[in-house]
Amino acid sequence: MDSLIIVVLVLPVAYSLFQLCKLIQQRRIQCCYIMHYECFKPSNDRKLTTEFSGDIIMRNKNLGNEQYKFLLRAIVNSGLGEETYGPRNIITGREESPTIADGISEMDEFFISTLDNLFHKSGVSPREIDILVVNVSMLASVPSLTSRIVNHYKMREDIKAFNLSGMGCSASIISIDIVQNIFKSCKNSFAIVLTSESIAPNWYTGSEKSMILTNCLFRSGGCSILLTNNKAMKKRSAFSLKCLIRTHLGAMDEAHSCCKQQEDDHGHLGFFLSKSLTKSASKAFAENLRDLAPRVLPLRELVRYILLNSVTNFVQRYSKVSKKVSLNFKTGVDHFCLHPGGTAVIDGIRKSLELSEKDVEPSRMTLHRFGNTSASSLWYVLGYMEAKNRLKKGDRVLMIGFGSGFKCNSCLWEVLRDLGGGNVWGDSIGNYPPKTLVNPFLEKFGWVYEDN
Amino acid sequence: MPPPLMPNFNNSVKLKYVKLGYQYLINHFLTFTLLPITLTLLLQLRYSPDEYLRLWNSLRFDFVHVLCSAFLIIMISTTYFTSKSHSVYLVNYACFKPPRACRAPFSTFMEHSKLILNSEPKSVDFQMKILERSGLGEETCLPIAIHFIPPSPTLEASGGEAELVIFSAMDSLFEKTGIKPNDVHILIVNCSLFSPTPSLSAMVINKYKMRGNVKSYNLSGMGCSAGLISIDLARDLLQVHKNSNAIVVSTEIITPNYYQGKERSMLVPNCLFRMGGAAVLLSNRRTFRTQAKYRLLHVVRTQKGADDKAFRCVYEEEDREGKVGISLSKDLMAIAGVALKSNITTLGPLVLPTSEQLLFLISLISRKIFNPKGKPYIPDFKQAFEHFCIHAGGRAVIDELQKNLQLSAEHVEASRMTLHRFGNTSSSSLWYELSYIEAKGRMKRGDRVWQIAFGSGFKCNSAVWKCMSSVETMGNNGPWDDCIDRYPVYIPEVVKL
Repeated sequence: MDSLIIVVLVLPVAYSLFQLCKLIQQRRIQCCYIMHYECFKPSNDRKLTTEFSGDIIMRNKNLGNEQYKFLLRAIVNSGLGEETYGPRNIITGREESPTIADGISEMDEFFISTLDNLFHKSGVSPREIDILVVNVSMLASVPSLTSRIVNHYKMREDIKAFNLSGMGCSASIISIDIVQNIFKSCKNSFAIVLTSESIAPNWYTGSEKSMILTNCLFRSGGCSILLTNNKAMKKRSAFSLKCLIRTHLGAMDEAHSCCKQQEDDHGHLGFFLSKSLTKSASKAFAENLRDLAPRVLPLRELVRYILLNSVTNFVQRYSKVSKKVSLNFKTGVDHFCLHPGGTAVIDGIRKSLELSEKDVEPSRMTLHRFGNTSASSLWYVLGYMEAKNRLKKGDRVLMIGFGSGFKCNSCLWEVLRDLGGGNVWGDSIGNYPPKTLVNPFLEKFGWVYEDN
Repeated sequence: MPPPLMPNFNNSVKLKYVKLGYQYLINHFLTFTLLPITLTLLLQLRYSPDEYLRLWNSLRFDFVHVLCSAFLIIMISTTYFTSKSHSVYLVNYACFKPPRACRAPFSTFMEHSKLILNSEPKSVDFQMKILERSGLGEETCLPIAIHFIPPSPTLEASGGEAELVIFSAMDSLFEKTGIKPNDVHILIVNCSLFSPTPSLSAMVINKYKMRGNVKSYNLSGMGCSAGLISIDLARDLLQVHKNSNAIVVSTEIITPNYYQGKERSMLVPNCLFRMGGAAVLLSNRRTFRTQAKYRLLHVVRTQKGADDKAFRCVYEEEDREGKVGISLSKDLMAIAGVALKSNITTLGPLVLPTSEQLLFLISLISRKIFNPKGKPYIPDFKQAFEHFCIHAGGRAVIDELQKNLQLSAEHVEASRMTLHRFGNTSSSSLWYELSYIEAKGRMKRGDRVWQIAFGSGFKCNSAVWKCMSSVETMGNNGPWDDCIDRYPVYIPEVVKL
């Protein structure tokens, strides 16, 4: 009898001990820290002003008057400022016939400048890097960009290198996903993620309206990020990854074909953006938020939402009052890093998350200062917040990116120490936010609004 | 005149037995030392049954004791089970079988060459010489857009080739394994030279309507060894995600990369690269344990990019006329040899039996101390593996590896026959070779396979698999089904055209 009691008592205790040990084991291998990140600032001779953009468009012989007006209207309303950067071959007038060397030198300039700074500021040597992930959507070279970097910095032989491409503007979060997963198998390692976009060989030289917008929005830029899962480096690190959610809407045909690379009727290669882009984006965003909310928001907010929702549904059955209940993300997130894909994207997200103008200010200013630098734009937005000294210890930052396919990826970072100081925004941070975002060439190009 | 002296067989036979005896002794060293000790101990401890009963009754079961020992046992077992890596099983794989209409026999290829390069007879002759010595057969396939005169490599045609290759391989894979597209958690696609936006992985997700939280990755630019890099990534991901299925699609899309200029070093890839692709299902689900064909033991990656010569040996660039092609440098073989040596230095300790490692150590010490100019001892990898899948990069690569690793003709037969039947299909060639070994009925349970591939950059990657169940040859539904009876084929040094 005694032994029976002992066995009955021991079993639940044993089970709970088992779960506790498992939990402790899981927690031990969870960390992923950003030690440092470095955004790319191209040299001043690569600046593209509105006037210069107008000149470049005029050079395209394939455009008719209608398309020319459409383009100028797009540039003036794009939200881009006068200091965005373009690739060298377009500035020197060779946009119609890019060579491989143009694409590669654009990438070389980016990674040499940022990686030199990154290694210098963090004190980590290239030979200590264990994982290297590069994502550049529209360039696939042989040997890959990862090999170029390994060659330039003489990195180790057993480095785990991955070269992602074709994954669109949300690819930097996908790269962080790879690093996070590999960190769980490799202890105490360093990883570098390089994210950029290749603009030089991808300038559209045709006249199709749906494909020519990309020329007005995409600009040169990139970012290198140094990550580690070494707990000893926590004091020197800036951010810690809390969660990462990926959503892929490729199963729906409409979402899949809403932005794709294709040739137009005359054989010019370009990037097609369909009219259902905003619809697919909002659908992807909604699905991503659905997975994200339980992991990011505190319990009271979720409880409030559920209760309010059920009450409203109950009330709606008897009265015609239709009030929409939505989650207040500001209870779990202090700063929002939204992909500056264009003014429409920023306004759309702002409306659906019910954010204030101050919340979306970093994204708007990034769009103005650097343009849409594709996958790396989220890091410029983060840099803006840091330069404005808004990131304090314990703050939570939510990054949301969209990409072709159609994907919506998001991740939540926790700030580990008070951040501030010089970064890519440098001295120009004092000029932001400017008094007006209206394009100074509106009067000059005002005639584009007249119909004739 | 005395009869010619027979070679002294006695000595070589004795040597063989000595070697066998040495291997047996070293590999079972622990058994040989511990067995006598255990036996003597058992003989000493001969108790009668009464004494055993008394021993058992004298033990006291205190509650605290029980709790403490239970806690200790549970803690140790939890730590053990959670820190153990999950086994990764290869459930099945499918290779793309190109349609007959895409065949590019020598005559077709040379005719095309003459028409396209009519102003350069020397380049045409060069291509013919390469083709004669390439080791390719008459049934390799090129995509339809390349059959046009001149070839029309539009984006649409490249997309068409990608759809044909990838979708056929995936349809075949789903049929063989019986899983639904909705059940795939991880998707990795690798294609070196064609990377549209949206990516090929998005194209696959769209066609098969995969789930919204599928983790997709699209690797590109990583060369002919990218298949093993994808397997490495899948393995790392399957350690983190429990009960998941991962599909790896390896292919190379030829359409956009056909060189249309006349630079000689860039014409070689045209002669070697052919259409092909493979889709592989990996899983860490225990339910697949009985169904799986192979279990992944090791993946070793070596990146020699730090050396400038190695980095430049396979390089995409424009020739003098601005036409894009891939140039192969003349020291490709030497660099491959160096990369191979680095790779097997890391792989050796993981797979070689103790006897070989000891021999290697002894030879290393003796070289360091006694004779620095002595030849290094190359460990006998035939002890560690039963089958070898060497990337069918070209005849020279297979010859070089056969010499370096001292392999017999049968070991490299799979590689040579794959090169003959399918050409160099880049990252998917390893799967055609594995399929050949299975179709020949040589794969038995417990056999270990070594897949080794080289790629631009310069990379050398290896994967080691262990066969979990003997593979039946009939009804395998593989790419060799209709022609396996004709193989192996004798491939002469030079095929006269």
